[in-house]
Amino acid sequence: MSFKSAVITFPGSNCDRDALCYLQDLTKGVVYNIWHEEASLPRVDLVILPGGFSFGDYLRSGAMASKSKIINDVIKHANDDRYLLGICNGFQILTEIGLLEGALIQNKNLKFLGKNCFIKKKFKNNFNLSIKQDQVLQIPVAHNEGNFYCDNETLKSLKNNEQIAFEYCKGEFSNSEENINGSIEAIAGITNKKKNILGMMPHPERAYSDFHPSQDGKLIIESLIS
Amino acid sequence: MNEDLIIQHGLTLDEFKIIKNYLNRDLTMEELGIFSAMWNEHCCYKTSKKWLKKLPTENEIVIQGPGENAGIIDIQDNDGIAFKIESHNHPSYIEPFNGSATGVGGILRDIFTMGARPIATLDSIRFGLIESEKTKYLLNGVVHGIGHYGNCIGIPNIGGECEFESTYGFNNLVNAMAVGHVQKDKIFYSKPKSIGGLIVYIGSKTGKDGIHGASMASDVFSEDDEDDKRPSVQVGDPFMEKLLMEGCLELMSLGLIESMQDMGAAGITSSSVEMASKGNVGVLINLDKVPLRQPLSAYEILLSESQERMLAVIDEKNNLKVKEILQKWQIDYEVIGEITNNKRVVFESNNKKVVDLPVDIIVDDAPEYDREFYIPRKRKGKDFDFSNIKLEDIINTLLSNLNYLDKSWVFNQYDSTVMGDTVKEPGQSSGIVKIHGTKKVIGATTDCNPLYIRINPYEGMKYTVAESYRNLIACNINPLAITNNLNFASPLDPNIMGELVLSIDGLKTAAEKFNTPIVSGNVSLYNQTNEIPIKPTPVIGMVGSNQDLKKVNSNKFCNIGNKILILGKRLEKNLSPYLLQDQNLTSNINEYNDLEELDLDYEKKIADCVLKMSDFKYIMSCNDISRGGVFLSLLKMQYKDMGFKVNMPDPIDLFCEYSAGYVIEIRNEDLENVTSFLSKNGVGYFEIGEIVKENIEINSKKFDYFDIINNYHNNFEKIIY
Repeated sequence: MSFKSAVITFPGSNCDRDALCYLQDLTKGVVYNIWHEEASLPRVDLVILPGGFSFGDYLRSGAMASKSKIINDVIKHANDDRYLLGICNGFQILTEIGLLEGALIQNKNLKFLGKNCFIKKKFKNNFNLSIKQDQVLQIPVAHNEGNFYCDNETLKSLKNNEQIAFEYCKGEFSNSEENINGSIEAIAGITNKKKNILGMMPHPERAYSDFHPSQDGKLIIESLIS
Repeated sequence: MNEDLIIQHGLTLDEFKIIKNYLNRDLTMEELGIFSAMWNEHCCYKTSKKWLKKLPTENEIVIQGPGENAGIIDIQDNDGIAFKIESHNHPSYIEPFNGSATGVGGILRDIFTMGARPIATLDSIRFGLIESEKTKYLLNGVVHGIGHYGNCIGIPNIGGECEFESTYGFNNLVNAMAVGHVQKDKIFYSKPKSIGGLIVYIGSKTGKDGIHGASMASDVFSEDDEDDKRPSVQVGDPFMEKLLMEGCLELMSLGLIESMQDMGAAGITSSSVEMASKGNVGVLINLDKVPLRQPLSAYEILLSESQERMLAVIDEKNNLKVKEILQKWQIDYEVIGEITNNKRVVFESNNKKVVDLPVDIIVDDAPEYDREFYIPRKRKGKDFDFSNIKLEDIINTLLSNLNYLDKSWVFNQYDSTVMGDTVKEPGQSSGIVKIHGTKKVIGATTDCNPLYIRINPYEGMKYTVAESYRNLIACNINPLAITNNLNFASPLDPNIMGELVLSIDGLKTAAEKFNTPIVSGNVSLYNQTNEIPIKPTPVIGMVGSNQDLKKVNSNKFCNIGNKILILGKRLEKNLSPYLLQDQNLTSNINEYNDLEELDLDYEKKIADCVLKMSDFKYIMSCNDISRGGVFLSLLKMQYKDMGFKVNMPDPIDLFCEYSAGYVIEIRNEDLENVTSFLSKNGVGYFEIGEIVKENIEINSKKFDYFDIINNYHNNFEKIIY
């Protein structure tokens, strides 16, 4: 059976086309592009909330998008145990909806950060099955609010429930910092308890083509399809 | 009309006399405002026009040359590339964040106005010395502003330059360039097609921001002006621009628009006048219909430079459909007028004509000056003794000067990978993006060498163009065309006017030789504050292409053991201004020797060899040699755990600048083929050494590898804090 997926576009999304290409090239299945005002989602295996500046980041990153019409169906989709992936602004939207815990606050150096970063898998889930335990992935980040924050209790439960999917790490020959944006315990991506929802700051959809400096972003889709 | 009022509007009394004699009546305030906006340097190029006319602007690939919102070139099939560079110098000094942000916003609108989707931006920014707190404030604000706007709208920033030099201390430069992709059969122009077409206003509401921005941009500054001028700086909203861009591109893809013009400098005035002039028609606009953010007078509406606004002409039958699409994007839309056949620009407000002028007088009769200029004399400076210079000292000087260091601190604040098509990120020889859905790539670079141009404007400009050319060649990108941003101080000074005239002449010579016509550009004059003129800074943005992404050269070392060769001709040591300057051998520019003549035929010959060797896959990596000489090129090529071991008869040569200079990496097994290819083509080369692991060695002297690498990458951030 072919893998079906969808990408939601909000006003101000700017990685929606990138996510569509990523899914088209890697899943070879049907990929829908859904405008935020549409009333319903088609039945698909994976929904991506893409990166960008939905609603101009006004109020708070992701806050306004979390109240969009389509979000009701996105929640239903997730409650059905199907996959939901929020990348960058998509991650921020997921925390604003409350589907993921914690919050993304401003980077510790108070500046936008656009560069290649290195991450590795922390706890196993269906999004990172194809990634080896100590494998270092090179994937770009591009965010101003990517500094993951939560209280101690939440952190404890994230660990106990093995919800931390990715953490930032040092790359070989790279003189950049291990924890690029100041996230608690260098967290780069988390899941919900049921592990069908992943939010991550790095952009795997910018690291999959032959001409990209790294193709490590493929591994996430490969994990879901395999 | 009162003389002070005329002068406050930036017009000379002579200019005013011309207008009055033509009209044979008094002007309304609104009309005076229009002339103030349209007859300043920024809009009518009154000082530079005579010289700009000499530039080559056409060849077989030029689809649109200067005169439209952007230039467009043909890159085969149905693909065209639209690009332009524009300055936002004065606003960025007064309010660095908004000034630079709206610079990016404005240049992006110039691109998508033509139906092109922006695919890359570059920025050429210049500041005073970093020891000044003011410079730190400006640097932070400008970089933040550029990043904020470009990141939010989601166009990758793929390069540019960032230089620090004392004359920019009170007059920093911000030149933003944008590149877009357009389908050749879907290009939109500002020329309206039919009489009776509706003039529609699309985008943000009009507010008080930016009133008189264009005439401010043509003013000389004094430091005290800053606070007074701040309300003239526009405030940008990249989210609105993103919606506007998507909305306009959707309208254009559906063929619902006849023509379009960005409301940039001088807002609704300049866009409507341009439309009328290009189409040889008239416009009738009711200012009461313009969507407003706050109550404004007709005069203010005419001169507001509120951002994220477009003026379009549509056929009445498409009105509803256009409205529906723009509603989806939550964009304001209003029919404000129509195209008439009387060749007059008419604005109404409160049932009264506040402006009624023939298009001709505003555009065709705009003043054009032939200003006095001096040709600089040949220089004869001092000769220097290099025998006591230690390599360590030169290296330390290089690695403690912001101009030579890795500028990741700047580039990391920009999103350079959004859109997923970035092939080469900033900080390399040139930025490269792929044309979406094809194998083609576009390379772009911005360059200027103000010191060379100050020393010799004609030759210095040739070197500047050659540097852009080499940046593209080094990546195996075929250079195609140029956009320019001529930043100069006051042209009323004949010495500065001389630099302007001669550098345009140098640009002409080099562009003709390289067959890279100038298709768009911008002039920014009066860049001086407190009587300190900036160095002449005619910035070049050069664009090129390769039909096959796989043929692009790496600018980073590939493998340990590979050979390093250099091509090109070393400039005389005494003619290597950067080396001289940085060794503090002289601080007085009058002691510099003249530049040697740049042999453009030789540049071209070597470039052709580099392109051929790239296609033969002989070249594993390549970088051009520019400021900082061979040594800095090698440092830029350093990658992972690789270093270099080199030998030069005189190691000082490693720090000299070159003409037609390239560093190339080749495999041992190709050495014989490469050297015989070069000899056959009559091109000299030096085999200077090889790539080694974790080592930097010059003439058997070992340097601390990690120290040098870390200083190169990290010192920029250390110095600016």
